[in-house]
Amino acid sequence: MKNFFTLIAAVLVASPAFAAKMPMPSDMPKSYEAECASCHMAYPPRLLGEKSWQNVMSGLNKHFGTDASLDAKDQKEISVWLQKNAATKQKYNVVAPENRITKTSWFIRKHDEIKADVWKRAGVKSPANCGACHTTAAEGIFSEKNISIPAK
Amino acid sequence: MNKELTVIRICLLAVSLGLSSFANAATPQDLLKTYEYQSGKASPARGEQFFNAKHGKEWSCASCHENPPNHDTKHIVTGKVIKPLSPNANPARFTDEAKAEKWFKRNCNDVLGHDCTAQEKADVLAWLMTIK
Repeated sequence: MKNFFTLIAAVLVASPAFAAKMPMPSDMPKSYEAECASCHMAYPPRLLGEKSWQNVMSGLNKHFGTDASLDAKDQKEISVWLQKNAATKQKYNVVAPENRITKTSWFIRKHDEIKADVWKRAGVKSPANCGACHTTAAEGIFSEKNISIPAK
Repeated sequence: MNKELTVIRICLLAVSLGLSSFANAATPQDLLKTYEYQSGKASPARGEQFFNAKHGKEWSCASCHENPPNHDTKHIVTGKVIKPLSPNANPARFTDEAKAEKWFKRNCNDVLGHDCTAQEKADVLAWLMTIK
């Protein structure tokens, strides 16, 4: 019986880890897909805090090594939307080092079992390429059940 | 008489709306002419060389678009799929001047560290138009 309760407790504690759902807000502007998702997946805004999004959007001419500059209209539309839909959960609402989702403490903890060479595989390329392993990333589902790590 | 004027006005309005909605629409040939007009006759051979060469920085155009750019490729950093750049392989390419200019600005900055000249754009586009 004691084991049974331990099991229940373990499931309750563990379950948030299996429920990483980050659906895209339904009011996503077309510009987000067209401008941002040309080069990387359309990251759900809840993956970063408001301040971090503000930082990202104010430095687009030097965006992680590339020029991702926007015209004023798209810049404003995307900024407002990202900040409005930014992380609210305490865990995700942190100021990300270098404004990178992949440098937040929660991201690093979640991926601590992934060895360095895995990130460099041709099928992965970068920690920014969520969909390489998270097969349902495009739908905002990062569940541990939906993971398939490319062999090379 | 008034009625006739109204009809004419409506027709003019319809024509102007129709034209304005196509203001950005272009063909690769239109864009090539624009760039050639701003510089000189395009050279596909020069365009090919420019596309595949590095220009003092880490990447060439081909780093992301590959050579020949007539198939889906992957962004060198993020792995995101990039649709073919050649207008023969992807008819949506170079049909919107503002979009073409936006990407030239971004990608020339990434590859050269500054804007491309109209001649460079003309050359590259002329080469891309020869790729099947």
